[in-house]
Amino acid sequence: MTSVLSVPQPLHQFFSLFPLYTYPRIPSSASQRPVVTPTLWIHPPRNTDPSTSSLLSTDVECLKWQAYIALRGLKNIKLRWDVSQDGSIDGRLPNLHIPSIKPAEDGDKEGGELLPAHLIREWVDEQHGVSEVGELEGYIDENAKDESRAWVKLLEGNVHAALALSEPPQFSFLSLLTTSPSAFTSGTTEAQTLLTPPPPPLTGLSSLIPQYGGPHIDKSTVELQYREAIASVSERLGTDKWFLGSTSPTALDALLYAYLHSLLKTKDNTLRFEVTRRVNLVSWEKRVGEEVKSAFQKA
Amino acid sequence: MDNDSELTSPPLRPPLHNSSAPRDREPEPDDLAKLRKWQEERIARRLRGDYESAVLHLAEVVNENLSAPSRINAIRVEGAKHTRKSFLGFLVEPFLLSSSTKPAEPLTLSDVLQTTRALGHILQETDVFDSVVAKLEPSRDIFAKPGDVDLVFRTREKGRYYLNTSTQVGNNEGGASATCRVRNAFGGAETFEANLSFATKTRVSFNATLGAPLTRSLGTRGEVSVFGMERDNSSFASHTEGVRGLKAVLRTGTLTTGLHETGYEAVLRHISKLTPTASISLREAAGQTIKSSLFHSWTRDTRDDRLIGTRGSYLRVSQELAGLGGDASFYKTEGFTQLSRTLLPHMTVSFAARSGLLWPLKKDTSLFSDRFQLGGPISVRMFRQNGMGPRDGADSLGGDLYWSAGLSVISDIPKKPQWPVKLHAFVNAGRLEAIDKTKPLQTSILNSLSKPSVSVGLGLVYKLDPVRVEVNFGVPLAASSGEGTRKGVQVGIGLDFL
Repeated sequence: MTSVLSVPQPLHQFFSLFPLYTYPRIPSSASQRPVVTPTLWIHPPRNTDPSTSSLLSTDVECLKWQAYIALRGLKNIKLRWDVSQDGSIDGRLPNLHIPSIKPAEDGDKEGGELLPAHLIREWVDEQHGVSEVGELEGYIDENAKDESRAWVKLLEGNVHAALALSEPPQFSFLSLLTTSPSAFTSGTTEAQTLLTPPPPPLTGLSSLIPQYGGPHIDKSTVELQYREAIASVSERLGTDKWFLGSTSPTALDALLYAYLHSLLKTKDNTLRFEVTRRVNLVSWEKRVGEEVKSAFQKA
Repeated sequence: MDNDSELTSPPLRPPLHNSSAPRDREPEPDDLAKLRKWQEERIARRLRGDYESAVLHLAEVVNENLSAPSRINAIRVEGAKHTRKSFLGFLVEPFLLSSSTKPAEPLTLSDVLQTTRALGHILQETDVFDSVVAKLEPSRDIFAKPGDVDLVFRTREKGRYYLNTSTQVGNNEGGASATCRVRNAFGGAETFEANLSFATKTRVSFNATLGAPLTRSLGTRGEVSVFGMERDNSSFASHTEGVRGLKAVLRTGTLTTGLHETGYEAVLRHISKLTPTASISLREAAGQTIKSSLFHSWTRDTRDDRLIGTRGSYLRVSQELAGLGGDASFYKTEGFTQLSRTLLPHMTVSFAARSGLLWPLKKDTSLFSDRFQLGGPISVRMFRQNGMGPRDGADSLGGDLYWSAGLSVISDIPKKPQWPVKLHAFVNAGRLEAIDKTKPLQTSILNSLSKPSVSVGLGLVYKLDPVRVEVNFGVPLAASSGEGTRKGVQVGIGLDFL
């Protein structure tokens, strides 16, 4: 409406007189506390008691970014897990809440700025001044950098698929009320997108029967691929301090740590035993874990 | 009975025949149209006379025999094919008892007639029957004593099924809905209603209600309903709210004398689909919460018109206590009153006031879904819809304490009092704020009253049954910093305006 009909100038001047009197902004107890230190919003850790000093998220995506931030050497990052996933940007945690760079608006509280996961790397780089990782992203040479891509694919593909399948979908009557029927198959749909080749659909393309539930996923194939992946990871790591022989931790180390930690905590015995029987993986996870844990505090 | 008091049918007379009485001033037979009119008037006059005398006669017969001994031996309801016998028995039973368990006083025709009227009224109240005709017949029972009668109700049931689909456009919203209603669903005057609608702002909403009378007088009804909706709140708080719940209500009384509603409600609220620009406060409020609460409300409406009343008053007081399980724990109370008076001929003045308090019980802060919102064309005019109160960025966070008041003068358009369009001038004021539990409540209330946001304006009101439409031109006079104001034209469609 406003774009089609413009307000005539005299009327505009008349309107600009109102309101004749303005009260100060109405305070709200509900509005947020000003953010002072960077705070990472994550899915809740297993143990939320801060005295145990193990505030590692149960969600592998959140843990990846926790490990990334910690291994890039940042300390005193606050964590909060009271915000629902619905409150995050695009419905995906983690989000990083940082103090606002811009000066606060007149009378407005310091609201800060919320970053989605894909902007965290950029923010970490800013904290270090320039991008200290350089062209090679912290890997020892060009070959190692290329190789890292393959390992990322392996971890985020085969390993992630096995992990997603092992986690029982969280079913409750409440989810039945609020979400679409796809909620029943959340575990399998996630795994389905990660597998190569993708699993065949339940019914034929020309079938009149509507597709209900996820496609059939051959669990044994996924497990076999998982076993092979863990075996090769263990072999490649050997007794190196960092994966691929890097001198300092890389993004790949953060990724590996997140998966190893999640696998060691999973309730699925087959998956967990595959890691626990490899001593180098367990000790590496333990050592890196100490470093990651020390970087975070409860907000 | 005497012969002359008996009613006889009038003798047949051909149309337009000549009557010889000159005092009737019968027109000349040449003017047929005039003659015909005269004849018709005469017949109508005579029929009226006959009817009046018949009624008088009947009344006389009845009145003379009021003390004659009479007793209802049986009550029969005919034509109630889909109504359960047990339900009819439940309604009828007290009347049969009263006619058989009063041996001390001999029952008379007067008692029988009173029973007939009372029971006939109740049958009509069930809303099951289209027509209810009562008849007294001599009792068929072979053991019947003289004077015993059977009370027979000839009834016709109303249609049981109703299905309606519709599309509507208005109030910046377009949508489609389907309603299905079953009357007398299980043969006991139960009503079942299911409604499903889709629209642009309230994206989906469904509601299924089953109601049934609980007492013999039908004054109390019980209702169980399941409801749900998806509401797009992105215009004032950057999110979509999903609501799923169930409710059980007990209703008693009538609107004119005071209607009580008592019940229990369990609701799951889900704040999701936040827009990318949503504020941090709203992000913190996102997710699912459960409210489990008991509520009571009392409503009395004596206005002569719900939309543009000229006299009478409306009063509604409601209370809610949440915290029987679930996340929400609060005490909430709200009041709304409206008074209308005719000030001068063709001019009425209407005053409305609304206020509410939300007191969190376990925590210091309340949940977003429970909080009040204020502002908009049917609330405090010349403010944006839900645009008042505490804010974070562009989002209205809602508040725990509010008041609003409005004074409207509505007058007929000069020389056109029959038009449904009226002239309208208003002054509105109100404030919504969060309660600081560390301060005494009195301080919060006084502070709230001392800083009213005020608006004034002129406009037109159109009564478009069943809603009222307003087009106003106005400006906000006082507002708090950050509150969403609206200067110029504002259109409102609704029922309960301030």
